[in-house]
Amino acid sequence: MAQTLVTEPFPISRIANRYLIFDVNIISHIRREHNICGVLIGTIPNLSQQNVFLGIPMQLMPEETRLLVEHGHAYIVEDADAHKTGFMEMSREDRLAFLRQMDKQGVEMALDAKRRAADKQEKVLKEKGLERKIQEKNLRRTDITPNPATGETSVGPSDEKSLSDSMPPSPTVGSARGQKVAPYFITPTTSHPPLPTPPLSPAAELPKVPHTYPLFRHLQSKGYFSTPGLRFGCHYTAYPGDPLRFHSHFLATGLDWDEEFELLDIVGGGRLGTGVKKAYLIGGEDPEAKASGKEDGSDPVRAFSIEWAGL
Amino acid sequence: MSHDMAADVAVSMPDPLPNDRPSNQITNGVERNEDVNEPKPQIPRPKRPNFAQIHAKPLPLDVYPLPAFIPHNPLSLVRIAIALISQSFWPPSSQTVIHTGYFSKETQSVHVTDAQSIRALWEQGFFGKGSLSRSEPRWLDQEKRKRGLVASLTSEEATRLRREERRQFKLERARKEREAIEQQLREEGKPYPAIQDEEVSVESDLDKSQDSQLQASDERTEGVSPIPTSDSCVVADDNLRRELEEGKDISTQIAEEICQPDIQNQEHLQLTPEEAFFLAHATGALQVYRNNSVVPSSYLLRLFCTYSTFPFSEKAEAYMDTIYRLTELHGRNSIDFSETGAMAPDNPFILRYVVYLHFRSLGWVVRPGVKFAVDYLLYNRGPVFAHAEFAVIIIPSYSHQYWTETSERKAEVDKRQNRGWWWLHRINRVQTQVQKTLVLVYVEVPPPLDEEHRMFHKLNVGDVLQSYKVREFVVRRWTPNRNRD
Repeated sequence: MAQTLVTEPFPISRIANRYLIFDVNIISHIRREHNICGVLIGTIPNLSQQNVFLGIPMQLMPEETRLLVEHGHAYIVEDADAHKTGFMEMSREDRLAFLRQMDKQGVEMALDAKRRAADKQEKVLKEKGLERKIQEKNLRRTDITPNPATGETSVGPSDEKSLSDSMPPSPTVGSARGQKVAPYFITPTTSHPPLPTPPLSPAAELPKVPHTYPLFRHLQSKGYFSTPGLRFGCHYTAYPGDPLRFHSHFLATGLDWDEEFELLDIVGGGRLGTGVKKAYLIGGEDPEAKASGKEDGSDPVRAFSIEWAGL
Repeated sequence: MSHDMAADVAVSMPDPLPNDRPSNQITNGVERNEDVNEPKPQIPRPKRPNFAQIHAKPLPLDVYPLPAFIPHNPLSLVRIAIALISQSFWPPSSQTVIHTGYFSKETQSVHVTDAQSIRALWEQGFFGKGSLSRSEPRWLDQEKRKRGLVASLTSEEATRLRREERRQFKLERARKEREAIEQQLREEGKPYPAIQDEEVSVESDLDKSQDSQLQASDERTEGVSPIPTSDSCVVADDNLRRELEEGKDISTQIAEEICQPDIQNQEHLQLTPEEAFFLAHATGALQVYRNNSVVPSSYLLRLFCTYSTFPFSEKAEAYMDTIYRLTELHGRNSIDFSETGAMAPDNPFILRYVVYLHFRSLGWVVRPGVKFAVDYLLYNRGPVFAHAEFAVIIIPSYSHQYWTETSERKAEVDKRQNRGWWWLHRINRVQTQVQKTLVLVYVEVPPPLDEEHRMFHKLNVGDVLQSYKVREFVVRRWTPNRNRD
């Protein structure tokens, strides 16, 4: 069912040089079809120090984005520009409809908050065995006229306080007690229901990728899943299948074809890899083979895996 | 404190096998256990040799401290006076033995072949590495043990034994797991898959060839014909294990049977260029020979610098030869370096030696750290006493303004001193695994030397070394879950 929801090519938003996907369906689609996992980076808004169980949006590595774009599965949308132009060019009717929609949502939310506050209060009073007060309060709610009895003065202010807490711009106490409440001001979290999905622009350039991209592409073409490997000191950790099912097999480090590197790197990588039951893998792209392989379609990337024999 | 200890101990221990005593003590220990009537006779651990005595000297030098001054004994003043006067008239030499070595450019090391020098350099400061051993030159001991002669257990053998035990443990654990699964399947009444039988037989073959003791008790292996274990290495391992269990009786028997009394020691000591230069220049306890004559330390510095860059240029080698011939002509101490190419101030050898000298002079035992992907490992007293505490990585630092004057120089320098986060994470994680603390040592590289030194026609090693500065920077992995206060 989810497959039908995603139409390729799908947009990838580019915001502050990050490539982000906001749609859950696309996220599961690329994971299933294109072996791309990305990294979920979204936190709960009021828990910004959250660092586990993150949610959408999903951030893609430039390599992943480039691969998707090169294969025609996706296209890049400059999100800031799309947002601005989209709202500037909106017709008046659409804008008003959108504002009305927002107002409606605000009223609904305010009512909902009020009802929940009342429920909570009722529950607390019930726990304390003060049903009489609940009845009195209900009575008072039905008669709109306030009852200046001595027993209720203690209840009255706290009631008012809780209501005014939950809705900051309460104009008068009388109106707050009735069904009419001031609507919440909604800050919309998505811009895509009002805005249409931005169109494919052919002029958009490919994302800039580091020099390790050929190795990434090579691993991806062999059916490996790759995730960023900074914690293992490598560029990518390569999984033979979905990372939820498998441990990674390789710590992949991309190098240029003629790049010089220290032998100590091999020692360190091999030792670290074997210590965590993986193999250290280095690979690079042969520029000559790349030039000649354009015709016969052979892969110009070669990779070598290294294991520490003494551990 | 260490000086006093050095004064008490004899010069060096010429006996290459100081560890004969422990083997005798094993049998003593067993007897004593029986006398006390302990319930289960356990194999006593072979007693370690007295490392504090063997390695009493931190460097291959002799020191002559003044006698102690005792305030209530005025005669002690006389002893001090006598020592002062005699030492000022006949100054004692710190180097009672001067070791000899020669540079081998193929292995990039200085070879020491004299058996006494090898022992002395290892015991007094842990210099060098046996060419056929992991670190301490113990090839002869290992060979003797292989032939069944009495010698103490070498660290290589201990490691091999430990790995073998671990492998056996893993095989055993796998077998138990498999049997548990089998049992479970049998209880559930499911047929046991036929493919796994084959696996079991293959596994049991493995068991059999590796371990003859398991073989007897293991009933599953009855149907399978035993694989002959004639491999000498396996035999040696079996010997080893039996020796550990039953003492040394069998090994002496074999010794009588084989009886090959003299084994030629085919091992020599390899000193890294830094160690050799430290011994030759800083302590004077080593002389490096070339064509039967000693080379001075300024030539040695040039030589090591030339060979520390890869690939060596043919031109540089030719230069080194001409310099050497000039030295022969003009005498030892005046060498004209004006003809040689400029020596880069960030030459890998100089950077490494500066750091080596820095930590050696602070009292650390500095050993190469290739196995942990670092430049040096720092031991508190030495590798026989405790594990290394710190792992040192050398990073050149170009903060002198000379290095940023032109843009191409700046680009070159950036390329040399910048390394990626991936590199740091990798190194740091390797050190965390082996519980060492990572120290990034930044060596401040001065502007090129040769512009100034060309005028003097002489390269003063002390002046060169003084122009370098060293900064230490300790890195530790910080995980919020574990390091929360």
